[in-house]
Amino acid sequence: MQRTSLIFIALVALFLLSPLLLNPYWVDVLNNVGLYAILGLSLNLIVGHAGLFNLGHAAFYAVGAYTAAILNTRFQIPVLWLLPICALSSGLFAGIIARPIIHLRGDYLCIVTIGMGEIVRIALLNNVFGITGGVNGIFGIARPSLFGISIQTPHEFFYLIWGFVSLTIFLFHRLENSRFGRALNYLREDEVAAEGSGVNVAHYKLACFVLGAAWAGMAGDIFAAKMTIISPESFSFWESVLMFTLIILGGSGSIPGVMLGAFLIIGLPEVFREFANARLLVFGAAMVAMMIFRTEGILPPRPRTYPSIEPPSGEGRR
Amino acid sequence: MNKMSRVTLAFLVMGLVAWGCAKKETGPIKIGLMGPMTGPWASEGQEMKQVLDLLAEEANGKGGVLGRKVEVVSEDDGGDPKTSALAAQKLVTQKVMAVIGTYGSSITEASQNIYNEAKIVQIANGSTAIRLTEKGLKYFFRTCPRDDEQAKVASQYIQSMGYKKVAILHDNTTYAKGLADETKGLLEKGGAEIVFFDALTPGEKDYTAILTKMKAANPDAVFFTGYYPEGGLLLKQKKEMNWTVPFIGGDATNNPDLVKIAGPEAADGFAFVSPPLPKDLPSPEAKAFLDAFTKKYGKPPASIYSVLAGDGFRVLVAAIQATQSTEADKLAEYLHTKLKDFPGLTGKISFNDKGDRVGEVYKVYKVNAQGEFILQP
Amino acid sequence: METFLQQLTNGLAVGSIYALIALGYTMVYGVLKLINFAHGDLFTIGSYLGLTLLTSLTLTGRLGVLAGILCLVVMVMGLVGLIGALLERVAYRPLRQSPRLSAVVSALGASIFLQNAVMLIYGARFQVYPHNVLPKMPLGLFGLYIPLVKVLVLVAALVMMMALYLFIQKTKLGTAIRAAAIDQGAARLMGIDVDRVILIVFLIGPALGGAAGLMVGLLYGQINFTMGWVFGLKAFTAAILGGIGNIPGAMVGGILLGVIEAMGAAYLSIAWKDAIAFCVLIVILIVRPTGLLGERVAEKV
Repeated sequence: MQRTSLIFIALVALFLLSPLLLNPYWVDVLNNVGLYAILGLSLNLIVGHAGLFNLGHAAFYAVGAYTAAILNTRFQIPVLWLLPICALSSGLFAGIIARPIIHLRGDYLCIVTIGMGEIVRIALLNNVFGITGGVNGIFGIARPSLFGISIQTPHEFFYLIWGFVSLTIFLFHRLENSRFGRALNYLREDEVAAEGSGVNVAHYKLACFVLGAAWAGMAGDIFAAKMTIISPESFSFWESVLMFTLIILGGSGSIPGVMLGAFLIIGLPEVFREFANARLLVFGAAMVAMMIFRTEGILPPRPRTYPSIEPPSGEGRR
Repeated sequence: MNKMSRVTLAFLVMGLVAWGCAKKETGPIKIGLMGPMTGPWASEGQEMKQVLDLLAEEANGKGGVLGRKVEVVSEDDGGDPKTSALAAQKLVTQKVMAVIGTYGSSITEASQNIYNEAKIVQIANGSTAIRLTEKGLKYFFRTCPRDDEQAKVASQYIQSMGYKKVAILHDNTTYAKGLADETKGLLEKGGAEIVFFDALTPGEKDYTAILTKMKAANPDAVFFTGYYPEGGLLLKQKKEMNWTVPFIGGDATNNPDLVKIAGPEAADGFAFVSPPLPKDLPSPEAKAFLDAFTKKYGKPPASIYSVLAGDGFRVLVAAIQATQSTEADKLAEYLHTKLKDFPGLTGKISFNDKGDRVGEVYKVYKVNAQGEFILQP
Repeated sequence: METFLQQLTNGLAVGSIYALIALGYTMVYGVLKLINFAHGDLFTIGSYLGLTLLTSLTLTGRLGVLAGILCLVVMVMGLVGLIGALLERVAYRPLRQSPRLSAVVSALGASIFLQNAVMLIYGARFQVYPHNVLPKMPLGLFGLYIPLVKVLVLVAALVMMMALYLFIQKTKLGTAIRAAAIDQGAARLMGIDVDRVILIVFLIGPALGGAAGLMVGLLYGQINFTMGWVFGLKAFTAAILGGIGNIPGAMVGGILLGVIEAMGAAYLSIAWKDAIAFCVLIVILIVRPTGLLGERVAEKV
C-alpha cells in the first residue's frame, strides 16, 4: 500500500513538472485533456452517478463560455471573477430546462438532451437576443490573470487548468463519499427501491443535473479565456458525444476512469495521426474493440467498501 | 575521471554545441504549411501541399534560398479551429520561420495569435473575412482578397444587370454570412430592395421548402453566398421546380463539381464571382507553373486557393532574398513597404499596411450550356 | 394557400424519407433496446452501393426504368441488410449482456468506423448519381409542383411500412420478433431462437435504411459520406416522436417531422427550422412522454 502510493505521488509530481520538459504543443494537448477531464467529471455526475442519459452537455459548456465572453467583453469583468457567475448561469439554465424533462425515461431523455444541445447551438448561431455574435462568435476575450500575473502561454494555462482539475477531483471525491453521493448510488442502482426508502429521486436527479451543468459552465469560462475567441462550432453535438464517450470508455461513475477517458479521447486521435486519412477509422474501430473487451470501461468504479464495525472489546482488529 | 579528461570532455562538449549552433545557420530554411489535410476541405489542403512541394523543389533546384535548402513542413488543421490551434503550436515548436495558410477564416483566426506571439510571419491564402486584418497583427498577410472586395464586385454586377429585387441566401458560416451582409449593405445603398435574407443549413439535401419560400418573395435574382455542394443542389432543384430566376454565387461556388451536381442544363446561366480560375491566369509565370504542375501531378490545380498559397510562398522567398534574412521583423517590414507589384501567379501583388492584398482580383464568371466556366469581360 | 399546400407537399416528401429510416431505427430498438447510431451510416452505404450498382451494371439501360429500379432496390436492400447483420454480429452481439451505455458507445464507434470506411473507399468528394435515370414528370395538381418521383417515394414508404406492419403482426416470425421485444428470456423459454430473431431484425432494419439511401441518391443526385449523421439524427428524432419501438409510430413521426420542418421554414425562419422542430418534439414529449403513439412494449412493473 505504501509503495503504490509512493509511485502514485511520484507520477503526479512528474506530471506536474512536465511543462518544463515538454514543448508547447504537447503542453497544449495536455491542456485540452485537462479541459475535457473537467467536462467529463461534470458529465459523470449526471450520467455516471444519477444515470441520466445526457447527450447535450455541450450546451451547458456553451452557456458558461458565452456568459464569460459577453460579460468580459462588455463589462471588462476579469475572467476568473466570472467563474461563479458562469456556474450560476449554466446551473440556472439547467434547472429551468430540466424540470419538465427529468421524468422522461432513458432514451427519450437522450433525444431531448440532444435537441436541447442543438437548440442552444442554433440560437447562438443565429445571434439570439443580438448578443452572441452569430456565426463569428465573440472575440477579444481577456486572458485570465491571477494576482497580477497574466496567464498566456500553454505552460501557464497548464497550471491553471490542472489546478482546477485537482480541485474538481477533490470536491467530487468528497461528494461521492457524502450523504449526497450515497443517495445517488442508491437511485442509480434501483430507482424504485430508493424512492421507497425515502430518497426524493426527482430532487436528486435535478440537483445532479444542475451541479453538473454548473461545473461545465466554469469549464466554459476557462475555455473562453484560453481561446480568446469562441464561436458556436466549438459546441456541436459531436462535442457532447465526445464527452459522453470518454466517460463510458474510461469507466462510467469512477473518477480515475474519467481521467483515463480524457487522456484516451484526446490522446488517441493525436497518436493515430500516423494513419493520416484513416485516423478516425482506426479510432472508431478502437472504440468498438474497447467496449467489447472491457465493457464496464477500463477503470470502472470499484464497489463501495465500508469499514467493518469494530467489536467493543477492541479485539479482532484488522 | 581525472582533471585532464574532464577538461577535454568539456571542450568536446562545447565544440559539439558550437558545431550544432553553427550547423543551424546553414541548415534548411523551414517554411510551414498549415492546411486542411483531413475534414471537409481536404481537397484544398492537399492541393496546397502539392503546390508548395513543387515550388520548393524548383527553388532547391536553383540552388535554394540564401544558399540553403528550402523545406516545407506541413501540419493538418482539420478544417476546425481547435485542431488549427494545435497545428499552429506544433509548427511553432518545429521552429518554422514563416507559415503559409490557411483555408477558412475561422480556422485561420484560431491560429493568428499563436503565430503573432511567436513572431512568425503568416501569409494566409484562403481566408477572406474582413476582421482578420483589422486587429493590427504585424506579421499577418494574405494573398487572397477580402470579402468586401468580393461584395463590391458582386453588387456591381447585380446592379449592372438591372436587378432591383434581390434575394440573398447564405449558410451561416463565417465566410458566407460576412459576404451576404456586405453585399446587402452595398446593394441597399445602390437602391436595390432585398426581398429575402436567410440562411440554409448545409449538409441537407432537400431545399425545396426554401426555394418555394424564396419564389413567393418574387425576386429578380438570387445571390447565394454559400458553398458549391449546396449551390449545385439549389440549381438542380430550382430547375425541377421550373423556376427560371437567375442565380448568382460567391467564390465558394467555384468548383467543377458544381456542374456535376446540378447537371449542365440546370447550371447553364449561373453566374459567380471569383478570383480567376487557374486556366484563365494570364501571366507567363502562371502558364509555366501550370505546365510544371500538370507535368508533376498529372492534372492542373482545380482550386485558385492553392495557387494563392503558391503566391504566398513566392512572395516570402522574394522577401527573404531581398532582406538576406529570415527574421520576422525584417520580412514583415519588407512585405509591408518595399514589395511592390510583385509578379505573382495570380497577378501583381502588393500588401498594404494592414497586410491585405492590394488590387482588384475578382472577376465574374458564367456557366455555359456545356457546363464550362466562361470569364465575363 | 398555395404556398401552404406546396410547403405541405415538400414536407411530406422529405418526411417520407425520414419515415423509412426511422422504421429501421425503431425495429432494432424494439428488440434490442439499442439506439443503433450506425443506422445513419447504413443509409449512406445504401446510397453509395446504389450508385456503384447503377453505374456498373447499367440496369435501367438493360431492363428499362421500372424493372431496373426495382431490381436495384432489391439488390441494395439485400446488400445493406447483410452488412447490418454483420455489424450486429461484430459490434453488438458481444455486448448483449452488458450495460446499455456500452452498446451505445459501441454503436457510436461503429458509426465513425463505417463513415470513414466509406470516405476511404469512395473518396472525400461528393458523388453524383447519373442524371436521367428517373423520369422527370412533375404532376401539376391544383397548380402545385409535385414531382412524380417524390409521390412514388411516399407511396413506396407507405407500402414498405404496411408490409412490415403486416409481417410483424400476422406472421409467425413477426410474432417471434414481438415476443423477443417484450421479454427476451421468456421468448427463449418458449422455444424462440432469439439469436435468429435478432439476425432477421438486423437484416430488415438496415435494408430499409439502405433503400432510403438509394432513394435519396435517386431523388437528389448528390451524396457524400457525412450525410448519414444528419439524416440519422432526424430519423431518430422521428422515431422518438412517434414512439420508439412502434412501427406505425415511426411512419407518423417521420412524416410529421418533415412537415414541421417545412412549415417552420416557410412561416417562421429557415435558419431556425431545426431548432423549431426540436422544440416541437420537446413539447410533445412533455405532454406525452412515450411519444405520439406510445410504446408497444410492456412496461416493467
